[in-house]
Formats: sequence, structure tokens, C-alpha cells
Amino acid sequence: MKQSKYVFLFFLIIPLFAFTLHKYYVSLTEIEYVEKQKSVQIITSIFIDDLEVDMRKQSNKVFNIDTKQEIDSIDYYFKNYLHQHFQITINDSINKYNYIGKEYEDNIVHFYLEVPNIERLNSIQIINTSLFESFENQQNIVKINVKDFNKTFYLTKNNDKGLLNF
Amino acid sequence: MLKKTLSFIVVSLISTMIFAQNSEQQNPVQKGHYNISKFRQLKQELPTPNNQHTASGAPGFEYTQQKVDYKMNIILDDDNQKIFGEETITYHNNSKDNLEYLWVQLDQNMRAPNSKTPDINGSGPGVLYSPSKFTKSFMGKPFQGGFNIESITNMENKPLDYMINQTMMRIDLSEPLASGATYNFKIKWWYNINDYIALQGRSGYEPFPDGNKIYIIAQFFPRLAVYNNVEGWQNMQFFGRSEFALEFGDYDVSITTPKDHILNGTGVLQNPKEVFTKKQYKRYEEAKKSFDKPLVIVTQDEAIEAEKGHATKTKTWKFKAKNVRDFAFASSRKFIWDGMAVDMHGRTVMAYSLYPKEGNPLWGEHSTKVVANTLKVYSEHTIDYPYPQATSVNAKRQGMEYPMICWNYGRPNPDGTYTDRTKYGMIGVVTHEVGHNFFPMIINSDERQWTWMDEGINSFVQILAERNYDKDFPISRGIPKGITGYMKGDQSRIAPIMSQGDNVFNFGANGYSKPAAGLYMLRQTIMGPKLFDKAFKTYAKRWAFKHPTPADFFRTMEDASAMDLDWFWRGWFYTTGSNDIGIKSVKKYYITDKPTKRAQNMAKRYGITVDQLPPSLYLVSEDSDEFTNDMKNKKPTDFPNLKNYIDKNFSAQEQKTLKTPKYFYELTFEKPGDLVMPIIVELQYEDGTKERKQYPAQIWRLNDKEVTKVFPSTKAIKKIVIDPDQETADVNLKNNSWPKNTESKFDKFKKQHIKS
Repeated sequence: MKQSKYVFLFFLIIPLFAFTLHKYYVSLTEIEYVEKQKSVQIITSIFIDDLEVDMRKQSNKVFNIDTKQEIDSIDYYFKNYLHQHFQITINDSINKYNYIGKEYEDNIVHFYLEVPNIERLNSIQIINTSLFESFENQQNIVKINVKDFNKTFYLTKNNDKGLLNF
Repeated sequence: MLKKTLSFIVVSLISTMIFAQNSEQQNPVQKGHYNISKFRQLKQELPTPNNQHTASGAPGFEYTQQKVDYKMNIILDDDNQKIFGEETITYHNNSKDNLEYLWVQLDQNMRAPNSKTPDINGSGPGVLYSPSKFTKSFMGKPFQGGFNIESITNMENKPLDYMINQTMMRIDLSEPLASGATYNFKIKWWYNINDYIALQGRSGYEPFPDGNKIYIIAQFFPRLAVYNNVEGWQNMQFFGRSEFALEFGDYDVSITTPKDHILNGTGVLQNPKEVFTKKQYKRYEEAKKSFDKPLVIVTQDEAIEAEKGHATKTKTWKFKAKNVRDFAFASSRKFIWDGMAVDMHGRTVMAYSLYPKEGNPLWGEHSTKVVANTLKVYSEHTIDYPYPQATSVNAKRQGMEYPMICWNYGRPNPDGTYTDRTKYGMIGVVTHEVGHNFFPMIINSDERQWTWMDEGINSFVQILAERNYDKDFPISRGIPKGITGYMKGDQSRIAPIMSQGDNVFNFGANGYSKPAAGLYMLRQTIMGPKLFDKAFKTYAKRWAFKHPTPADFFRTMEDASAMDLDWFWRGWFYTTGSNDIGIKSVKKYYITDKPTKRAQNMAKRYGITVDQLPPSLYLVSEDSDEFTNDMKNKKPTDFPNLKNYIDKNFSAQEQKTLKTPKYFYELTFEKPGDLVMPIIVELQYEDGTKERKQYPAQIWRLNDKEVTKVFPSTKAIKKIVIDPDQETADVNLKNNSWPKNTESKFDKFKKQHIKS
């Protein structure tokens, strides 16, 4: 417990003074409405080491994401984490999404999420608070692409919500 | 006759092109413009070359550089976490100028209560505040950091006039220091050492629960600022991020610590017999002959024993370092020390590691071996490591470099187990920080001004060293496909690489990953390893122990390779543009010997009959109405006029080696992206074979949006992919294949996932 608290404090500090091995604190979420399939498709990409820190802090568990020592039920915890930090509201009401799966690529985990059966898209709202608790300067970038329309939101601790109306 | 007709046609063709262009002009007078070609030279961006920094990128015959020597006595007060110093500085004015004053850097003042560093950073309320941070931030009890300057005197002990502006101090000289002259003066100082775990920083101490500390001490003494040929005095303030600009010189340093401490620093220990036990000294000497594996010099048992005590007596460690730009050291009761010898073409260099028991077994297994590997790989690509030793110190949450010594993170779990992530993270940081010995400690660029020249270049060579240590090393940054997420981001939040480090948005991507990815791409894709390595080594040789600028790098890479890379520097380093190349359309053509409509029209225009056209072959597009199905099965040699020509001009032997294309593909490439880049095309044929073709970036020089190429082929093409290995940081892969890949990344994943 003490150890993880220390780790947590450390990450709060880093963004203030860059170290030589500097990291940047961003996640990227790409959302696309695919009219043909009547589905909203979401790929959200997060740095694995940062996610490990934030998930450890929340649950007091060590996950060892994407290592030989990764815990068995990792998807269960990922789903839980996303459920708490990533919310999508479509047409003012629908807010359930399917967790299709995850994919590891280098130091990044991509989550594939889908909201099926959307006949018409009138509005879309995203709340993404991933990693905000552990990283002061975390920025969650959300790119929304509906037909030919593109919009990018930069969500931060002080402004964690993006809304688009059509 | 034949010749005449041909030349007539060629001349006519040229004139029709001119006519065609004229007919496109609609307004009588069009607006002009400056040279907007992406291939124009960098004359306006680069400083005018001179006899100090020449047009070839080498130092010129009038290049000068100051030298600063330091003699220091340091006392580390472990009980009160204070450090005291007396230094004598010898300043050699090698410039052609007379200097009215000297500027000295006081980096510790960044930590003083009146520091401007917190003031220049906007922020909202924090998520949480530790009691210590809360009192320091809000209750008027800030950490009393920063230098306490006790005296500044000349060699006759007369006080000198000085003025302090935050992290810079001006020392006024009673008379200007003449060109070629030397000036000696003394500074006496002390400061409170920060707990860097609580208060951040690149130096300070890490506390342990039993009261022991690991000290990693750097930027700890007043250091002369650089006076050079391009900046004058480099006295830009230190805000904590953009690092250092320092002169080379010789160091003679004595450090007094508690008797039970183990210490290493920049340079060579002069009195090992006095500071080590007999056994340790013997092992210290034995390690110098161990070229295959590290030997332990101070054992874990000895370190555990030392941790239990608290000596009141002291001892003094003496170091000498020649031709270095800085000095740093690490000291603790907790240190284990191991070392191995590295052969540098007949000269022995020592690779050392100092770490607490908390670093084992990971550190004992890897650190020193990684130091040795880094020295070898970097030396191959630059110059032989010129210093006598390189030390890696385990310090929690650090990754920071100094000459011959660096601090590196990475500790196993308390039970000694560690994941691959911890292991590779630790190997990565050791490689990176030891690699900094070359950039910027030896090839000594100005870090305060240009982050990429040390961090970017170093992150690039780091990849080569990591792959040499472990061919499956998971490279985390510096490869082109890894930088696309950053490069396709919102343009209002991206700065060009050629920006001063304090003023960029994503420091890591801007100063480390993007320049490293650019160099990786130059080596792998644009220049090829052979040309690149030769030019890169030239840069290192030319600027070792000197102060290079970006122009010196850009110019040398071209000067030493005969490649004009101005387009690349311009796009990748001076702009925020990104690369997006796609395949727009593919048209199939077949051969015929019947004059096509186009040919008939041409004949008509020049007043000749179709029969008067020279014997020719014509290409017919599959979608034109002149196309007939029988064309599909014809080989070029089925046409008498070509057959006759071949029979007449080539022997039977030669004829066997002739290619006989059946298909002609017209490929149109589009480039929605700003950058110009080579086009890498992979053709996949019906029979499953593949072929690759790479066109240089210069293919875009006359049309920045679209170019067309014709491919003759003996086999039908099934699929075309642009940049199949993602070598060129293409930010949009949706237009990279033909037939168009309609399956999105999402669909593909979903399909695979449901299957499994």
C-alpha cells in the first residue's frame, strides 16, 4: 500500500519538471459512426504503464499488464475501469457499449468498444476521465468522425466532457 | 527519313505542351509568388556560414572555444543534508573578444523560494497535496533551496563585484579579460540538499525508512556559462526543463563524506587505497582485467553492514577528470559497486554500476553489461569513447546524465522478482543515459536552446544499442510509425522541432521521439544505413569536444553524403506538417500496333497520314472504347514491327534476357499530406509473388499533390500497398492500398476477435 502510494505521488510530480526520459501524458480515442453498420465504433488507446499505475491505485491490485505475469482476469478489470472512466451518451439517452476486446501494441493498449443499433446519430457526448487521478497533466484526446465531419476534443481534469450535436 | 519524322514529332510534342499550358491561363495577369517549392534550399532558415561554422558543416579555421578548469573542495553533510564547496575557477578566454564580465550558472536557484519556475507554469488546483507540499506551497514555508554564496574573490582574496539574476550571476571584472588571457577567481558556497522524491529535481537525495540516503549530486556548484561564436553568452535562464550549455575543462575535486559512504563521480578516483578496504581495493584492481563479465567491488554484504552504522568520522575521495564539461557524483552507505573492463581498440575503459540492495538482482544482472554494450555501439557510430570510465547509478525515478556518470531508475519488487517491463525499462534508461556521454557530453550541443540535438539524436542511437543488447528489445519510441499519433494531432498544439525546449507542447514527442524517428527514417529509408552511418560519424568526429549547432548537423549530413536533404530538414524539423501518401487510381493498359485515336489525331495535327507515322506500339487503356478483348492475350513480341526490331538488334542470347511485359499499369499517387516523402510501392502479383519499388521524395518536386507512374509487368497485379512497413510516418493508412481496403481497423479486429 505504502509503495503504491509512493508511486502515485511520483507521477504527480513528474509533469512539473521534465526528466531526461520524458514521457507525454496523452491518450487517444477515435470514434466513428459507421452508417452502413448502424454502429458507433470506438478505439481508445492508452499507455500501458500509466494505466497500470492508475488501476493499481484504484483497486490495490497488481496487474502486470502485457507481461508474462499478467493476471488472468485482466479483461474484467479493464471493463470495470472503462465503465468508471469512459462514458458515451448517444442521442441523449443510450449509454451502453460493448467491450469487443483489447490489443497490445508496444507500450499501448487499444480498447475496441462498440455501440450497436444506432439508426440515426443526433448527438454524441463523451466523458473520459482515464488517468486523471494519477497524472496531473493527462490529456485525453477524443477524435469524432461522423460522415465527413471531424471534431477533436482535448479533455483534461478541469474539462472532461465533449458534446457534439448534429 | 525515319529520323526526320521522329524529330519532327518530338519538336511538335514540346510545342503542343507549351500551347496546352497557355490555353489553361484564364486571367490575363496571374499573381506571382516567392519560391514555394518544398525542395528549395534552406538558405533563409540556416545562419550564414562563416569561418567559425563553415558552409560544409565543419568547424572553421577561426572557430574558438573557451576552456574552464575547476579545483574544488566539497563537504557532504549527511546529518543535515547540506553541501559546502570552495572552488577555484580558471577561465581561459580563447575567443578573439575581450570580455567585460563573466556569466556563471546558479542552477540550484531554480529551487530557491523566489524562483520564477513555478510562476511561468499555469495550472489548476492539484488532485492532492501532501502535508509537506501543502505547507511549502500555501503556508509560507517554502523549501530553503538555492545557493548561499558566501564569497566571490580574486586570488588575492579581494571580493569581486557580482550581480545575481535568478539562475545566472554576472561577475564584473575590474578590467576586461583580453583575448587569449586567463583569469582565476574563487567562489565559496553552500546549499540545502533537496529530497528529490518529495520536491522533484534531477539531483538531491532519496530517503530510506531506516534514515539512510542515496545522494545523487549534480548542478551543485557555480558553473561558467558558455561564451561561443553563435550566442555570445548563453545565459538564458534555467527553468528546470531545458538543460545545460557548458564549457570543457579539467577538474580536480576532493569530496569529504562520512567514513562509511561509498562514492563515485566524474573522472578517475585518485586515492582508491585510502577510501576502499584492502579487499575492496583488490577487487577494484581485478575488475580492470575482467572483460567478459562484471566483478563485484563492494559486495552486497558489505553494503548491508555499512547501512547499519552511522560513522561520525569522515574520509575524502579525490577525483581528476580531463576535458569534461561538468562534474557530478553519487554517495551512500547503501552502495554495492561492480565493474567490468571494456576494450576500446586497445585502451581499457571501465563500466561501473553503483546500486543499493533494493536494485538487486536486476542491477547485478544487467546494469554494467548494458553500460559496456552502450559504450561499444555508440563508439562504432561516433568516436571511440574517450573517457576512462562510465558509471550507472541506481536512483529511484531518475533518468539523468552527466559526464561519465548517470542516474537510472528501475528496481525489482521487494521479493526480488521483476517483470519484463521493469527489466526493459531499466535497460532502456541505462542505455539512454550512458548514451548521453556522446550526445551532448562529448558532441557538446547547446541543450538550453535545442533539445533535439542531444535528446533526439541520443534516442535514435539508443535504438541501435538496445537492439544490439537484445535483438527482441521492445523499442518504445523513435520509430516512424510510433510518431504518427502525435503528428496527426491538432496543429494548434504542435510546435516544430526547431523550437526552444521551454516553449513546446509535448516535450517528449517534440524533443525525443520525432527527431529520433526522423533520423531512423533517414537511415533506414531515405539514405540507407551505409551513407547515413558514414555521414553521421563525420558529424560526430567533426564536433567531438566542440559546440555544434543544428546547421552544422544538417550541413555535415549533406556534405559527407552528397545527398541534398534540405527538403527533409525543412519538412521534418522546421514545420509541423505530416505525411500522407495514397494510391488514387490504377489503370490497366494493353499493347496494340494499330494507331490509337490519340495517334491518329497527332498525325492529323502535323499534316501527315497515319501510314507516315513511324512503326510504333501503342498503349490502350482497358476502359477505353478502343480496347478489344483480343489485346489481352498479346505479348509484345506478337507484333511484327517490334519482333523485327528485336531480331535485327539483339542476338539470340540477348533476346532470352529481354523482359516481355504483358500488362501496363498506370498508377496515380496522391499526397494529401504536407510533407514530401519517398513513395514505397509494394506490388503483389496473382501468383503470390511480391515486388517493391521506391521512388525518391524528389518525385514530388513538380507536382505536390499527385504523380503518375507506368509499371510494365509480365504478371497481373492483385494488390498494391503503399509503404507496407510503415517506414515514412504516414498518418493515414486508409488510402494506402488498392483495391481500396474497405475493412477498417475496427472491423478487422472485431472479425478476428469473434473468430477466436
